[in-house]
Parts: sequence; structure tokens; C-alpha cells
Amino acid sequence: MRISLAFLLGFFSLNTVFSQENTELGFLPKIVLSNKINDNSKWVNSIESRTFVEENLATTHSLVDISSIYSRKISENQSINFGYILRFEGSEQIHRTFQHFNVLSNFSALKIAHRFAFEQFYQREKQTNYRTRYRISLQKALNGERIDINEFYLKIGNEYLYDFSDLEVRLTPYLGYQLSKKDKLETGFDYRLGDVFANSQSKNLWFRITWYILL
Amino acid sequence: MSNRISIVIFFFLVHSVVFSQEKYEREYRISVDSVPENAKLFIEKFQFDKTVKWFAEESQDGKTIEAKSWLNDYKYSVEFTKKGNLIDVEKEVEIEELSKAIQQKINTALTDKYDKFKIKKLQIQYTGSEENVFQKVLNNVDVNNVLVQYEIVVKAKKENESKRYELLVDKNGAILKELIFKNSFYLNLEF
Repeated sequence: MRISLAFLLGFFSLNTVFSQENTELGFLPKIVLSNKINDNSKWVNSIESRTFVEENLATTHSLVDISSIYSRKISENQSINFGYILRFEGSEQIHRTFQHFNVLSNFSALKIAHRFAFEQFYQREKQTNYRTRYRISLQKALNGERIDINEFYLKIGNEYLYDFSDLEVRLTPYLGYQLSKKDKLETGFDYRLGDVFANSQSKNLWFRITWYILL
Repeated sequence: MSNRISIVIFFFLVHSVVFSQEKYEREYRISVDSVPENAKLFIEKFQFDKTVKWFAEESQDGKTIEAKSWLNDYKYSVEFTKKGNLIDVEKEVEIEELSKAIQQKINTALTDKYDKFKIKKLQIQYTGSEENVFQKVLNNVDVNNVLVQYEIVVKAKKENESKRYELLVDKNGAILKELIFKNSFYLNLEF
């Protein structure tokens, strides 16, 4: 209960702090579908949409990302992913390929995940761009030591993205709910601070909802 | 607004069709007030250094109650039936703290079974009457009728596949039980 309260307080403070000038707000709904290929590999597909919310509460649809990822377990707690994302942004299409290396540490009540990523962006008449990413995520059940069905959990992520010119930092506190053995729902905020090295930074606060499904 | 309601209804319909009956299994924190008196009295005898956390575990097979705490830098888990009768006491230790003879038996058993292994967690499990188990665990008194076994979590490689196993090993190094940890649902930590 204390954790839930702290989580809610955190949300409200985030909202207050970042709903100030120069912060863009919006929604990021996402569905992630995972198909097991065999014991060590899976095929993961997702669709994500991005909608900005203006000051007058009008909404503007910004983009859609469709991704397809091959994931392979390389040890009991490590995996590598090879993926492709197609982004539809206005009349433009941006192609992205990426590689991930994931490490998961299991403690009795806490799970800690590290993700190292390298991404390549391809766009018509533009130079190929590259980006590196590192993300740490912590996950904890809100009742007991294990996340059971119909139980809430807390997931907090912190990610650093470097495109060889500037840095972006993301902070993502989520409240999750285990709907069944095969699906869970997460909702929360995704705060992004971009152009960290520049004189003026870009700030985004997204309200995110993600549905993870194992098929 | 009606569109939003339709989306919510659609979500729950899809959810109930796609994901039918699940095996019921649940572990959760409980308050000390809901713990049977005999279990509380047994735990009080330990005089743990830290707060005792109480958990209940429910499944189709029934319900058990577990107390977890620390004493002299060791983590203890004490499991009871729902009526508060002792099932076992588990004390988490490093393998180096066991006698050389037991260490050797466990290592031999694991070497025979797996190509490569790493012990992630080892608990000494004591089963017997409350008084005998208490004397054995805390005072290390050599009492009869206390069954001492070892619950071990290993990350091991067999036939080129790396998995996590939970083993129950007896004092002679015989593996009595081997459970494979299922590939848990960590999709949300990877993607």
C-alpha cells in the first residue's frame, strides 16, 4: 500500500513538474504480441501510435510504429534481439533496424533488466543515422514477492539514448497488472528529456498504455 | 464517449475469449493478525533481528503460511499449514558453510547431472517437530527425528541448454526432486 501511495505521489509530482512550459504532452498506446518459435526463440510484433495533446486539449495524431523482432535466448538470463521498425510519420516512412542485448537478474522480490541497443535509421534522401541505447528496468510485485494473476506490480525504467551528437534521457514509472498467465497491461508515464547537451532541451511527457500478449 | 466504452468492452471480451481458465496459484502478504496463534508463538521463539513478514500461498492443492525474516545475517523461511502447524524451516547459507563432506556430495551430484552449473541459492531445510527443529536450527543440538535436506537453485547447462532448476538433495547427495523453472513472462522487461 505504501508503495502504491508513493507511486501515485510520484505520478502527481511528475505531472506538476513537467506540465510546465516547453513540455509536449501526448498518448502512446502500444500492443506487443509474442509468438513462441521454439524453447529458445520467439517472434515479437508490436504496433504503437503517438498522439499529441495540445494546450486546448485538441489531439493531433503524430505517427505509427510497426515492429517485428526475432528474439533468441542465449543463456538462462540473457537474450539477443534483431528487429525492424517501420515508422509512418505524415507522408514519410522511416525504416529502422536494431539489435538488442538483454540481461535479466532475478532476486527474490525484485527483477532487474538491462537492455543494450544499437539502432540504424534509414530514410529516403537522408543519410543513415545511428543511435545507441542503454536501459535499466526494475520490477516489483506490489503484494508478496511474486507477481501472480490479478496482481499489480511496479516497473520503473531509466534509459539513455545517444545518437553520436546528443543525449536523450527517459524516465518511465509504470503500474502493471497481470491479467492472466499470458498477458499483462502496463500504464504510466514516459518522460523524455532530449538534447541534453544543447542550450535548450526538448521535453516530452507521454501517457503510455501497453498490452503485452503471449500467443 | 460511446466509442471508448465499446473499446473497453471489446478489450474484456477479447481477453476472456483468448485467455480462458488458468491454474490458480497466488502468493500474497498477510497481516500478523490473520496468522494462527501457534505459528506466531513458534516464530516469537526465534527472536529474529528484523521484522517478520508473513505470506500466504494458495493453490488448488490448498493454502500454506510462510514467515520470512533474518537472524544473525541469515535469511529464514518458516512454512506452516493453514492451521499453523510447522511444515519446515529453511535457512539460506553459502555452500562453503556446509561441512566438507556434504559440500563434496552436493558438488558430485551436480557434476554428474549437469555439464556446467552455478549455485544461485542454497537453503538447509529442517523438517520435524517444532521443538526438535528449533533446537537443531538455533542451538545446533544433535537431535533425532529432524530431517535435514538441501534445497538448491542452480543455473545449469545440460545438452547445450541453459536453465534454472530447483533441486532437493538429501544428506547423502541424492537428488530427490528436480523442478525446472519455466520461462517466465518477462516480455515487458525486454520490449
